[in-house]
Amino acid sequence: MEANLALLIPLFPVIAFLLLIFGRKAFCKKMAAAVGVAATFASFALSTWVLVAGETITWKVPWLQIGNQTVSLSIEIGSLQMLMLFIVSVVSMLVHLYSYGYMKHDDRIQVFYAYLALFTFSMFSLVMSSNLLWIYIFWELVGVCSFLLIGFWYFKPEARDAARKAFVVTRIGDVGFFIAICLAFWHAGSFEVSDLQAVVESGQLTPGLITLLAVLIFVGAIGKSGQFPLHTWLPNAMEGPTPVSALIHAATMVAAGVYLVANLFFLFQASPFAMDLVAYVGGFTAIFAATIGLAQYDIKRVLAYSTVSQLGYMMLALGSAGYVAGVFHLFTHAFFKALLFLGAGAVIVLLSHEQDIRKMGGLWKSHRQLGIWFLAGCLSIAGIPPFSGFFSKDEILLSTYLDGRIDLFVIGIIAAFFTAFYMFRLFFMVFAGEARGPKADSKVPVVMMVPIVILGLFSVFSGFANASPMHLLTAWLSKGNDYTAATGHAPVWLPVLVVTVSLVGIGLAYLYFGSRKWSTSKVVQTVPRLHKLVFNKYYVDELYHYAFVLPAKGIGWFLYGVDRFVVGGLAYLTAWIAQFIGRIGSRIQNGQAQTYALVSVIGFVLLIVGLTAGRFLK
Amino acid sequence: MSWINWLPALVTFFPLLGVAVLLFLPREKTGLHRFWGIMATLPSLFFALYMYLHFDQGFKGLQWFQSVIWFQIPILQGEPWTFHYSMGVDGLSLPLIVLTTIVSTLAAVASLYIRQATKGYYQLLLLLETGMIGVFAAANLFLFFIFFEITLIVTFFLIGKWGFLGKVKAANRFLLYNGLGSGFLLFAMVALMIMFGSLEYSDLESRMGQVMGQLALLPPQIETTLWAVFIALMIAFSIKLPVFPFHSWMLRTHVEAPTPVVMIHSGVLLKMGAYGFMRFGVGLFPEQMKEIAVLIAILGLINILYGALLAIVQRELKSVLAYSSISHMGIILFGLASLNAAGLKGVMFQAVSHGLISALLFFLVGCMYERTRTTELDDLGGLAKSMPVFSGIFLVGIMALLGLPGLSGFISEFLSYLGLFQNYPVIASIGALGLIFTVVYALRALLKTTFGPIHERYRLLNDLNVNESVPMMVLVALIVLIGVYPDSLGAPMQVTLDLIVSRIGG
Repeated sequence: MEANLALLIPLFPVIAFLLLIFGRKAFCKKMAAAVGVAATFASFALSTWVLVAGETITWKVPWLQIGNQTVSLSIEIGSLQMLMLFIVSVVSMLVHLYSYGYMKHDDRIQVFYAYLALFTFSMFSLVMSSNLLWIYIFWELVGVCSFLLIGFWYFKPEARDAARKAFVVTRIGDVGFFIAICLAFWHAGSFEVSDLQAVVESGQLTPGLITLLAVLIFVGAIGKSGQFPLHTWLPNAMEGPTPVSALIHAATMVAAGVYLVANLFFLFQASPFAMDLVAYVGGFTAIFAATIGLAQYDIKRVLAYSTVSQLGYMMLALGSAGYVAGVFHLFTHAFFKALLFLGAGAVIVLLSHEQDIRKMGGLWKSHRQLGIWFLAGCLSIAGIPPFSGFFSKDEILLSTYLDGRIDLFVIGIIAAFFTAFYMFRLFFMVFAGEARGPKADSKVPVVMMVPIVILGLFSVFSGFANASPMHLLTAWLSKGNDYTAATGHAPVWLPVLVVTVSLVGIGLAYLYFGSRKWSTSKVVQTVPRLHKLVFNKYYVDELYHYAFVLPAKGIGWFLYGVDRFVVGGLAYLTAWIAQFIGRIGSRIQNGQAQTYALVSVIGFVLLIVGLTAGRFLK
Repeated sequence: MSWINWLPALVTFFPLLGVAVLLFLPREKTGLHRFWGIMATLPSLFFALYMYLHFDQGFKGLQWFQSVIWFQIPILQGEPWTFHYSMGVDGLSLPLIVLTTIVSTLAAVASLYIRQATKGYYQLLLLLETGMIGVFAAANLFLFFIFFEITLIVTFFLIGKWGFLGKVKAANRFLLYNGLGSGFLLFAMVALMIMFGSLEYSDLESRMGQVMGQLALLPPQIETTLWAVFIALMIAFSIKLPVFPFHSWMLRTHVEAPTPVVMIHSGVLLKMGAYGFMRFGVGLFPEQMKEIAVLIAILGLINILYGALLAIVQRELKSVLAYSSISHMGIILFGLASLNAAGLKGVMFQAVSHGLISALLFFLVGCMYERTRTTELDDLGGLAKSMPVFSGIFLVGIMALLGLPGLSGFISEFLSYLGLFQNYPVIASIGALGLIFTVVYALRALLKTTFGPIHERYRLLNDLNVNESVPMMVLVALIVLIGVYPDSLGAPMQVTLDLIVSRIGG
């Protein structure tokens, strides 16, 4: 009974998708939005109910026969999944609502809502699946929805190119995941996560194989969650409409990689090398993306690099055995980053689609309410108590510290400083001072403001989900596993250090961008090369272009030449031989009886020789 | 034996009735030709669906089997050589027969842009359908060969007369290569007849089993001959599939042949290669197949990567699809090389799935060409603005091509790769790079066509009309059906595949 109700969670959005895509002509804009919001609200209500009920739900139905193996469509909703369903449904519902304000003037809003619904369906299903194959299936489907929504404004060349980049770069990661699934099937005997867990824990797999599987799956997670070196697609993905950036490229889909690692945590735990890899890739990404965020001017790009960086934090936590810390940060980040994106979207709409923060300013005076909620988001991500980001970031750094990775701990602290700095750089440039570009003389529509306020409340209070001394989330997530066994006590200086570092970052940002007492141009002048390097995102895109794209094209062109002249030449040769034989044949048949006789005699002699020669040679 | 056993014959020969009807129609009545051309494909479609619904999924061997003595050739000593007319359907042929009838009907509908000599055109198209169904429904090698040759000759004329600019050269190249393949097939057939005295599939299978069982006792020439026959068969079907480096004829055919013929060619005719590999390669020579499995896997790898890399640099849409076909046929080779349940199922799925997808895509390209008069990627762009329905269906087609889950392409690709991972994980892993290249060229084709700013001259193009979009929607529905519920295709072939796998052994 409960399983059937839980199955309705993804069903509502998929019905909405079908209605909207086939009836797009029949629905007016308001109706389309209503269908989307209603469907996601229904899913939200059910997800909340599942979360409150708190009982693990399993469901299974056979799907495909492979030899004597039956592959099932199987669902298992445990604590982690319930939490994810809740996050996805909340953010998705609010984004659906918000989109009506943001996309009001778009002619294809019905299609937009259809894609959003399809994405929501795929994301729910991805979370609910307890079978590697099905996780992969929905993993790809959320990817394609992301592609469609990034390229929603298909006529813009930048959107088109960004959509392609997103698809191709994440596909590179997906190949790793794909190989892992195939190997897991032959070595674990099934695609079920539970079967894999049983095999891993019983020690039937060699350590090398476990490491290989974990690394390959992590490659998939790197692609999806925008970790270095496959992070390049995520900032470009900002070409999509802002509600999409909030839902897909901040709160849910990009967190799928983190979710995958958390979901298969048993596999990673069994391989120290994989844990190291996750931690170091995460830590490096956290600081790498944060530094790029310092020098960007597009409001959404800054947020995108911040997302990359925060996802790096989550990976760092997971790699440092901080299972709860990673999931906790996923939880709080979903809210405050969605808040920041929706706030940025409101700013963009107010300033008639200006995205350059150098042309913004003074919004604090004219749009105080928006400013307050945006500030809440900034304080949260900067890790200032009692905002939610403080609690989760604190736990991440704690688990890194307890795991004995002092190098990564230091990196995490520095990245926290950068985070506070670039976020408040953004905040001050947008809200402080005077207007430097288009004037904002309209109000933020209510449909856009309501989601911002709700997410704002979540950003402020969601941190208490795992605050001391209750640690509700830890208790919740440790049901049925031993991932949280090794928690230690926090040294008192740790939160103090984190908060101090963040406050210094905020203070510096205020001096440079708030009061403008100090000037950034001096900094740029002292280290021009470094600034250029950071501003150009360390030239990673250019590097890839010359290292991979051009050689691949070159090989393609070279092979094309081979194909035309060598292989095609082979075809000519065959044709020529056929014609040649034909010509000889026709020349022989020239009607002269003497020639015929001669040929027969030669043939006869050859035959005799052939039949007898063998005996003499023996 | 009742009338129902004539079912394969009915499916096969019904289109000929249309050929006869068309004979009596006046030459200039194009509308009538179209009407009868389409109508004549429907009975076969109906009977094929009937077969699909009434197929006994638990039955081992050929169903609706029908065999009568056709003619005999007396030989010097012993029994005269007896040639049968025999037809029947099993798990390998049923899906392909259904595919053939569907694609044929849709190709007949898609022939609306054929404007000259429609009478002869539809007659040949119907004759081609008979040939194709016959190839799959035949229950002995001799009949198989005859139908195989019919498709070859008919396709030659269809390309040569109704194709685009380079049609004559393309038709010649087509005939030359395929004729070469037929030569190998003929050699294999004669050799098998001499060795076993029968060409019935059931006889061949049982006698092959006997011979392989006591190979050690027989003179070594037998084994050599078997190898020669096996290699001849492999070459014949390699040309048909096509396997690198036998592919150059197929590129020209894809670019120069008229749209409906390409739909059939890419949709069904190439699959005769896959069918041949399954029926005569894996089915008849499992031991030899095992010996050369590595070679097939490597050839598959070459096909996948070579086709995909070349598809990336093509500047013309039909060439992109042609090279993509080479890449996708590599996936069939992967499945074959795996020689296990997953991989062989992947082969059959890929044959059907790629048939549907490429029929859809070539149809789309044909419809687009009628409007834009070009298939050069650089001249296209932004069509989503003026042709949203076209663009939507094209999007689905491309997604199916690049193996998006939920569509048929994924299942077939996945099963083939999965199969190969059991035996050759390294080759399969390298082949997985093809998944990336596929995305690159498929998206390039999509984005250069329908995305981006629209050219001024395309602003007023008409979107697809109903007799274009409805057949396409049928194809899309089938692609989704197989993708979401693969057992709809997999269940009928299960027993036959199990049988083949058990013959391969451990």
